[in-house]
Amino acid sequence: MSTSTVVNTRAIVTRDAGRGRSAAPSAGRSRARMIQIVLGIVAAALILVYLSPIIWLVITSFKDRVDIFSSSPSLFFAPTLENYRQAFLEKGFTDNLLNSTIVGLVSTGIALLVGVPAAYSLSRVRKGETFMMALLAARLLPAMVLAVPLFVLASSLGVRDSYFALIAAHLTFALPFTVWMMRGFFLAVPISLDEAARLDGCGEWKTFLRVILPIVKPGLASTGIFCLINSWNEFLFALVLTGRHTQTLPVAIPSLITPIGTSWGQVAAVGTITILPVLIIAFIVQKHIVAGMTGGAVSAE
Amino acid sequence: MSTTMERPPVRAPGPEGDARTVALRSRARNRVFWTRFGMQAPSLIILAIVLAFPLVYSVILSFQSYSPVDAEADGRFIGLDNYIRMLGDAQFGRAVLVTIAYVVLAVGIETVFGTILGVVLSRLIRSRRIVTSALLLPMIATPLVVGLMFSFGLNPQFGFMTDFLRALGLVGDGGVLDSAGGAFAALVVMDVWEWTPFIALMVLAGLSAAPQAQIQAAELDGCNTFQLYWHVMLPMVRPVLIVAILFRATEAIRQFDQVYILTGGGPGSATTVNDIFQYRVSFAAFDMSYGAALGVATFAVVATLSAILFRYLNRKGADA
Repeated sequence: MSTSTVVNTRAIVTRDAGRGRSAAPSAGRSRARMIQIVLGIVAAALILVYLSPIIWLVITSFKDRVDIFSSSPSLFFAPTLENYRQAFLEKGFTDNLLNSTIVGLVSTGIALLVGVPAAYSLSRVRKGETFMMALLAARLLPAMVLAVPLFVLASSLGVRDSYFALIAAHLTFALPFTVWMMRGFFLAVPISLDEAARLDGCGEWKTFLRVILPIVKPGLASTGIFCLINSWNEFLFALVLTGRHTQTLPVAIPSLITPIGTSWGQVAAVGTITILPVLIIAFIVQKHIVAGMTGGAVSAE
Repeated sequence: MSTTMERPPVRAPGPEGDARTVALRSRARNRVFWTRFGMQAPSLIILAIVLAFPLVYSVILSFQSYSPVDAEADGRFIGLDNYIRMLGDAQFGRAVLVTIAYVVLAVGIETVFGTILGVVLSRLIRSRRIVTSALLLPMIATPLVVGLMFSFGLNPQFGFMTDFLRALGLVGDGGVLDSAGGAFAALVVMDVWEWTPFIALMVLAGLSAAPQAQIQAAELDGCNTFQLYWHVMLPMVRPVLIVAILFRATEAIRQFDQVYILTGGGPGSATTVNDIFQYRVSFAAFDMSYGAALGVATFAVVATLSAILFRYLNRKGADA
């Protein structure tokens, strides 16, 4: 009874409000629009200020040495691709780009291949909670705690400066992440679908591959993308486990910064190339970003 | 393929069943076990090799004396010496203090700003998507390059942030990173810049999941907007907010990349956070066993925080 009263009042209130608005003179409406436009401009300016560090980095990468150090307002300059040419064609940053790509693709591939079936299996049993918590703990584990033993082990096995060592190190976060994230997507698929497939004579593997996996394809894609980004962005393992032949992009950047004679333009160019793919990809998986950032522990939407 | 998997509708007539049904059923159970095993085992094996084994090895290492550059430290067991050394290490104590100050300040500011930003975002309708996309960029960008961006902005010779602060008369010729306070403040500002949107997005997610009926009831009872947010909606998003803060805390404790490239821990030891200190011990002085002991101690702290986090995660799951 009380609920219906509330609903009625609400209806009356909204109708009144609607009538009041439609009766308002058009001068008021145009002023409201003016306010909206001004607010929009202020908001756009704030966003520009907020993103200024990124913008500054990108702009610097197109400047030559003189323009970088000129103290006058330096938004007007002749853009040059010289920094990119020198960094990637002459100083060999293309190799680092390649290393980053190889390590990212292989570690993501292994994590998906191995982690997705495990995630499915864990989403269909009751007592998976402890294992999941252990996996999340692994995800929260400070990289520095693992860096020391991995370094010692890799040194004594003689596999430092190899893709193998770095990929193994990246699996320490990629695999727990994959299982957590994919389990969330699998949990959203009703178990009655499994049962229906089972009645139609599918085994567990067949149910998983033919029925359930196609449903979670979007989730699979964003999990893979987050694995790629995490591996691409990773710095500490790459710093201690790679050498001259396997350095990834983030590790190569500090080596360009020296106390004397740093060519900041090239640093900016390498930095820009490093974040560019990540920023583009981020737009694609925007919907799952909170889930991705928390390792699948919290899912928005 | 055979079809002897669990089939709920086709059941044996009696609860006891004859011998044949029992045998069939145990075979089916066996097969289920082996399928599960096939699905989970590869992950478990890989995690055991790359994660569990190194962790155990790290604990063992922390009771040894080992350094690849020191012939004296050949890996003999020295009991708790590394941990005792840790307690008396003034540099480590300083690093812990710097880390605590950093985590509390950065996460605290992020929480306040992020909550406000989340509320603002929830009121935007048409422009929310664009604004959110812009806010996402810093936290998804490579952390090392985030440090690099601030290194560019704060460069004493050509940084635009230095120019701006100089115009306000806040910095001298040496630039912001030259002074202990300036460098520390720069780190906090950088973290706030990078991670405030994370809190905001979590708050936004919490707000959009909040039950509308109570909000409308409060509106009808004559709450003004501030009262509505403070007394009605904030309690609703509190579980999500706590999870967000704990996540941020566990991440801020292990801050390394941005500090490494922006200040390198300097000037002096003003910005030597825990991970930078550990990096110096393990990979500059190559005192591996002491580094392992420091890592184990850090792990204990993070594990405690994680345990609290799990409790909240579980409670949130129970509410939903």
